[in-house]
Amino acid sequence: MGIRISTNTLFEQGIATINDRQRSLLDVQQQVATGRRVVTPSDDPIASGRILDLSQAKSATEQFVENARSANSALAVGEQSLQSVVRALQDVRTTIVNAGNGTLGDSGRAILARELRGNYQELLSLANATDGQGNYLFSGYRGQTQPFSESAPGVVQYAGDQGQRLLQISASRYVPISDAGSEIFQRIRTGNGDFAAAAAAANTGAGTIGIGAVTDPAAWNATTNPTNFTIRFDVNSATSPATTTYDLVDNVSGNSLLTGVAASASGPYLRTFTPGSAINLRNQGAEPAFDYGATVTIDGSPGDADTFTVRQSPAQSMFTTVDNVINALSTTIGSPAQSAKLTNDLGAALANIDQAINRVLDVQTAVGARMKEVDSTEATNSDLAVQFDQSVRDLRDVDYAKAISDLTLQRTLLEAAQKSFVQTQNLSLFDLL
Amino acid sequence: MSGSVMNIGLTALNAAQAGLVTTGHNISNAATAGYHRQRVDTSPQVPQLSGAGFFGRGVAIDNVRRAYSDVLDRQSQLAQTQVSFYDTYAAQVNQINNLVADPASGLSPAMQEFFRAVQDVAASPGTTTSRQALLSESGALVSRFGALDQRLTELRSGVNVELSGTVDGINTIGRQIATLNGQIARIAGPGQAQPNDLLDQRDSLVMDLNKLVSAQVIRQNDGGYNITIGTGQALVVGEAVLQLAAVANTDDPRRLDVGYQFTGAPVPIDSRSLTGGSLGALLQFRSESLDPAQNALGRIAIGLGEMFNAQHRLGQDLNGAAGGNFFTVPSPAVTPASGTTATIGASITNVSALTLSDYRVSYSGTAYTVTRLTDNVASGPFATLPQTIDGLTLAASTGTPAAGNSWLVQPTRFGARDLGLAFSDPSLIAAAAPVRAQATVSNLGSATIEAPVVDASSQPPLNAALSNTVTIMFNAPPTTFNVVDNTAATTLASNVTFTAGMTISYNGWSTRLAGRPEATDTLVVQANTGGRTDNRNALLLAGLQSVPRLDGGASTYQTAYSAMVGSIGAIASEVKVTGTALTGILKETRSAQQSLSGVNLDEEAANLIRFQQAYQAASKLISVSSRLFDSILELN
Repeated sequence: MGIRISTNTLFEQGIATINDRQRSLLDVQQQVATGRRVVTPSDDPIASGRILDLSQAKSATEQFVENARSANSALAVGEQSLQSVVRALQDVRTTIVNAGNGTLGDSGRAILARELRGNYQELLSLANATDGQGNYLFSGYRGQTQPFSESAPGVVQYAGDQGQRLLQISASRYVPISDAGSEIFQRIRTGNGDFAAAAAAANTGAGTIGIGAVTDPAAWNATTNPTNFTIRFDVNSATSPATTTYDLVDNVSGNSLLTGVAASASGPYLRTFTPGSAINLRNQGAEPAFDYGATVTIDGSPGDADTFTVRQSPAQSMFTTVDNVINALSTTIGSPAQSAKLTNDLGAALANIDQAINRVLDVQTAVGARMKEVDSTEATNSDLAVQFDQSVRDLRDVDYAKAISDLTLQRTLLEAAQKSFVQTQNLSLFDLL
Repeated sequence: MSGSVMNIGLTALNAAQAGLVTTGHNISNAATAGYHRQRVDTSPQVPQLSGAGFFGRGVAIDNVRRAYSDVLDRQSQLAQTQVSFYDTYAAQVNQINNLVADPASGLSPAMQEFFRAVQDVAASPGTTTSRQALLSESGALVSRFGALDQRLTELRSGVNVELSGTVDGINTIGRQIATLNGQIARIAGPGQAQPNDLLDQRDSLVMDLNKLVSAQVIRQNDGGYNITIGTGQALVVGEAVLQLAAVANTDDPRRLDVGYQFTGAPVPIDSRSLTGGSLGALLQFRSESLDPAQNALGRIAIGLGEMFNAQHRLGQDLNGAAGGNFFTVPSPAVTPASGTTATIGASITNVSALTLSDYRVSYSGTAYTVTRLTDNVASGPFATLPQTIDGLTLAASTGTPAAGNSWLVQPTRFGARDLGLAFSDPSLIAAAAPVRAQATVSNLGSATIEAPVVDASSQPPLNAALSNTVTIMFNAPPTTFNVVDNTAATTLASNVTFTAGMTISYNGWSTRLAGRPEATDTLVVQANTGGRTDNRNALLLAGLQSVPRLDGGASTYQTAYSAMVGSIGAIASEVKVTGTALTGILKETRSAQQSLSGVNLDEEAANLIRFQQAYQAASKLISVSSRLFDSILELN
């Protein structure tokens, strides 16, 4: 026996089928209209959670790109200023070299001193440079405090701090975007960077000292190195020609390195001086063993009891260095000793300026390296943001070709359901009675 | 014999008429809901014995019977209660579903913009513009939390309203079934003819009841229906109805449950036993979708607020003052049960440990028991408070609790609603760190000191000596150093052995030392006075975006939100898929039930012709019988 179909069932199922088809058509239509496969989380719960995570990753990455751009512009502004500082320092260097010309008189040196005063002011204003927002570039965290000011002629105070501002340019990388002024303008090692060789102010002779060099860094950097020595001269005029000898004194212990016992204030000493030959901080001949891996050269004719010091380089601001040169050039020269002092001062100043230039160049190199890193990170992050975006699209967006073919299919199905419903309902026995 | 022909004709006429009446009844009720088609049962009358054998005496009308199958009707009801359940559940959960992932109105965009604004402050900490922008984005985030919560709260009150309406519907149907029970019992005893249309009405009401809640029929011997709902709660017993009422939840008066409306206090019915239908859907939606969603949102708000605040308090604002709270974070809501007068306090002490559950604290007279309501895991008994459970610290407050007192504690429910901004002055954003370090410029060595970091573990409160000036001075030889607090004039440590890369911690900060020091070199940690362009704390605040701290360190704010969206999506999707499958089943069972009980108009048309012809034939029989009689009369 066949199954009875009630008239209700015919109606209900016909309507239900049309409803279903309409719902499917609406779903596809919504997908086509919004361009999205996942319109609400229920469309694909796993994908929708993932889409949110990816969107956040994309947003964060875009922020890193923005940060990288801010970092780059901040670094570029700093870099510009540093370039100007180097240029100014090179002018100073040229002036110092010119000042060494023996034909210059006091007045000629005074002119150079005025030129240097100009350079000094330029450096000061460069050190107080600001960014586009009025914040000082070189004052550390204290961006709204002017970092450098001259409290007395030649005395420059630093009011900033040593803070370095960082920006996050990737998930794990924070790049410094500022450098503290103290590290650029102040923390400059004098002399050759390891030690400073200087003539005592009271020297009477015409001895001049070079900047020297560390020949054995391990020996110089050994913790046993007192890093503070005096080279003391004795000129014995009783002989003809006069014999010049010198002693090497460890200033920390007060002992002579050459004898190993307390240094004597008067000579003659164990080593004989030859102008222009290297003085090594290393034992020779019968001296007790010592080796500090450094060498200096003294030229000219040191006077009796003249002393020269060799000590660990302290830091000296570039303003002090320039100011010292200005003072040296402003002093009248009347004796060979004064002339030697000028030579010593200029030599030291030249070494100090070179150190300053190197210091600024070091910072500049670091800034350049950071800019390069920021650039490459920015490029990576831009690519990454595109990737994230693509992943979101892959998960979320509709495949139009498929969606449109679905749309046509659903439309056909709906039409079929509607037509067949009407045709079925047209059949009734009552029509034939 | 002519009399018997007449009689037979009459029985045939009656039967045909009965057939026509019933067919007409079927045609007119073809579209009536719950109608079962009816048939006239006929049988030959008891034959008459004669010498020649038995002569038939025509047809007898036995019964008017409805085409009814208990099994098929029951199947339809079962399918219907489930379809109603999923329809209602889908309608509710889809509202959350549509809300949470909307690219414009969801939480994600607001949270992303917020953290981007923090990054912008890190990029330009000294400008008011970026700080103002952060405040605006924070405001937007707070109001987005509020708006999302508002929608969920509306859904919650919607559940209350629908629940009351559904309970009224159940009561009405219950009363109607009870009334019909009475009517049917009075007019049709056992073994007597059945009032088909009244039975249809009653079955139809049972079907309607199943749309509201799962309902079972227990047939009584007298034909009456006793009705139980859910997992066996009586609703109709004979002609009596046990009226239901929407009653306030014992733990949470804002939440309506279903109970029996007895004289005196209503007796609540456990929500979990009211299954099926729209009522079951409303209750289950509320406890399995709405509560977790709102608590999850609240937990994100509280987590973000607490953690951002904790880091913000480690910072220093533009005026040089220590950072305060950035957000105002709501405390857990504590609701005493009715009759409980003593109060207890609750606070969040560990955001990472927070769950999505609400808790019930009950007092036995001697001890407290804390029950986590999502899984009914009890902690305790505890003789005294405070106690900490799942990052939630419960403390005794005012009053002395009595035995049987209880409190509902909702740590996260109102988190999203009540999160706020603590200030509106952009200069109060603590982008800087309170301490800075420097290596003295005149140092002969190259020792360096990193920017110090404030130790988070020390707060609150912050170490009082945090901003004191501390000098690290190297001894001769520089293999050791002393640490002196210059502000407090105390020595913090002496002869500490120096190794490059070492970490030191004093006064609530830590930092790292490196390089090669010389004797008498000094490193200084001091207050970050004037550090208006310091962005260290802003960077740490921005970093919170990607630190998984929620859920015991398993989720970031974003993944916690994605998880919530994913679970709502999964529920909505499951409800949709199951609902569609069940609709198919309903269609099948209904089609089977209709196949037996439904009216087919073509069939009725055919019956119409059949009974019309039978009627005509019977008329002919009577007419023949009459003519037979006339012929006999003519014989006279």
